[in-house]
Amino acid sequence: MNAVPIVILIVAVAFIVRRGSRRRSTPNLGAAVSSGIGLVATREIQQRLRGRILRVATLVMLLVIAAAIVIPTLGGKGGSQTKVGITGTVTTAERAAILDIGKQVGSTVHIVAEANPATARADVSDGAVDLAVVDGDQVVVPRALTDSDASTTALTARALAVALGEQRAEAAAKLTPAQQAALGKVAPVAITGLKPAKGSDSDQGTAVVGLILMFVMLSQYGTWTLMGVMEEKASRVVEVLLAALRPNQLLGGKVLGIGVLVFAQATILVGFALGLGAAVGSNILNGTAPVVVVSVLGWLVLGYAFYSWVFAAAGSMVERQDQVQAIAFPVTIPLLIGYVSSITAVSSGHASLYITVLAYLPPTAPFAMPVLVSLHAATWWQFTLSALISLGSTVMLARFASAVYRRAVLRTGGRVKLRDVLSGARTQAGPPRTNEAV
Amino acid sequence: MTLELDSLTRRFGAVTALDGLSFTVEAGKVAGFLGPNGAGKTTTMRAIFGLTDLDAGSVRWNGRLVDAESRKRFGYMPEERGLYPSMQVGEQVEYFARLRGLNAAAAKAATAATLERLGVAARTASKVEELSHGNQQRVQLAVALVHEPELVVLDEPLAGLDPGGIDAIGEVLREEARRGCSVLLSSHQLDLVEDLCESVTIIDHGRLVVAGDVDALTTHGTGRLVVRVEGDRTARWARKLRGVTVSEIDAGAVRLAVAEGVDSDAILDAARAAGRVTEFHFERRRLSEVFREALG
Repeated sequence: MNAVPIVILIVAVAFIVRRGSRRRSTPNLGAAVSSGIGLVATREIQQRLRGRILRVATLVMLLVIAAAIVIPTLGGKGGSQTKVGITGTVTTAERAAILDIGKQVGSTVHIVAEANPATARADVSDGAVDLAVVDGDQVVVPRALTDSDASTTALTARALAVALGEQRAEAAAKLTPAQQAALGKVAPVAITGLKPAKGSDSDQGTAVVGLILMFVMLSQYGTWTLMGVMEEKASRVVEVLLAALRPNQLLGGKVLGIGVLVFAQATILVGFALGLGAAVGSNILNGTAPVVVVSVLGWLVLGYAFYSWVFAAAGSMVERQDQVQAIAFPVTIPLLIGYVSSITAVSSGHASLYITVLAYLPPTAPFAMPVLVSLHAATWWQFTLSALISLGSTVMLARFASAVYRRAVLRTGGRVKLRDVLSGARTQAGPPRTNEAV
Repeated sequence: MTLELDSLTRRFGAVTALDGLSFTVEAGKVAGFLGPNGAGKTTTMRAIFGLTDLDAGSVRWNGRLVDAESRKRFGYMPEERGLYPSMQVGEQVEYFARLRGLNAAAAKAATAATLERLGVAARTASKVEELSHGNQQRVQLAVALVHEPELVVLDEPLAGLDPGGIDAIGEVLREEARRGCSVLLSSHQLDLVEDLCESVTIIDHGRLVVAGDVDALTTHGTGRLVVRVEGDRTARWARKLRGVTVSEIDAGAVRLAVAEGVDSDAILDAARAAGRVTEFHFERRRLSEVFREALG
């Protein structure tokens, strides 16, 4: 049933990969590094690490992540201590009840003894305490509460008011201690949901941060690939390179080199995010959020692998900075669609048919599939299926991109049109090609 | 070790860049590759490196079809020079040496030796973009030669160089040929080619026009003899000779076109009979004349 499409895909991908790898013979790492692809990738990494752009970009992203993690914890938990002033004597039971209320609203309550109602009011108004219980039958807050006020002070005040009211009612009813004890053991009845719960807020928060990261990194590294290819074309060094390397080695090395940097940078960013999250007690690690993190990382690699070929082929068609904008825009559109649709889906908290379809299309899957994961709307095999579709189309795309690259990168003197490249491909198909470069 | 180009044909839409072009480049020689603009020189050179698809024909090295492996033993300097502008000279040359299969240590040593030989060793740590045009050209040549190639193909290697640079690079190319390397270079500076090259191939419209050794081409065909007889301004003595035409008289020097098989001693005798002979020598054709004649 469900397994059939997966098996078909695994076989198909294995077949493509085997066909691709049959020509190469790289038995060990050393040989791999000194192979054409390895040398190109190594140069790419060295040159990028030496430049300032990578370091600055990483720093900026670290700052953005730090802000995204730390700021919510400042707002949400700033009032995690509530000072409650109380006039008169407080029994142990009352004290326990008040502390319990604090726990319910997620705050540690400190009880402050007040000499009389006047000092209690004065302390509330100058902020020495957050609220006060006066004479056991009145809760004083600095400002009248609105219905929508969900601050810790408001929550505590409302809960206290209810509890005090209950105590007064119990006193008025003149219940026996046993009856009072029975009432104290009120247990809530079960709540049954008709549908499973929506993904937790923390999962979705993690997904949003992940989506932003995904978009920033895919467009940044895609642009790097595009510019890198363009610069080699513009400086004409590509002709010297291609005299010594096959086009797919040169292109593959570039994609691999930048890819290694993508993964290293993403790992640093995610590691930093997780570490910082744990340190400041952010909810980024709660629930199934780690699964979302892993799926974002995995899709970042898949997404990069897919898009880098598109950007590389685009780069081979231009040779001037002012042509970059025109060619980069259409390439970035699927990225934008995936990003915007996915952010919308996360905020709606519901996996629509639209986003589910996007989750299986390779250009948008890097965004949409992690969203489905965060919404608990994807099973492991759906995830794997989408990943395999993406891998399979990446292999095909790489071949197509190599062909475009090979035909476009030596055509200088203006922007190369895709139509020309493709029609060139067709006329080339007929006669024998004895000096095939690919 | 011979490079054979066999019936290369390449069309770009309606334009035929190469039209069944065949010629060979022999080992140990500097071969010139000439032709007017648009004759197909660059396309031919690109075809050797598989940088352009061929509609027909083949390129063979030592009798085998050229492939990626044999190209690693070739060196190439394209018409449009290309280096990474912001990469250091030494690193760059080393990188290309490694791409051609040298290991790290060998690439380092070969880079140092090649830069030394081309007189740019002092700029090893400079970025390419900081170098003068002439020095960039030397680095470009270093990239083509660093791996001691068996064949080196140079598209206009002398363009834009000062006389010192031309001499230096010319000497390096002659050394390469002595080492046993096949050197194929294109140029528009025919006088330089005549000095530097032992053989030339002239093409036009993608077709072979003339090929052969420079010596044979410049002395072949109608001989030209320059004779000066003291006091003689009319060259009447020469007009009686069979197989000899007076083509020019320039301030007493008579330029004669001599048909094949005519004995030059007979001409000398006739000249001496007319007066004291102060000049008598065969004139070689300049390569530029060969070129112009070949192209009609």
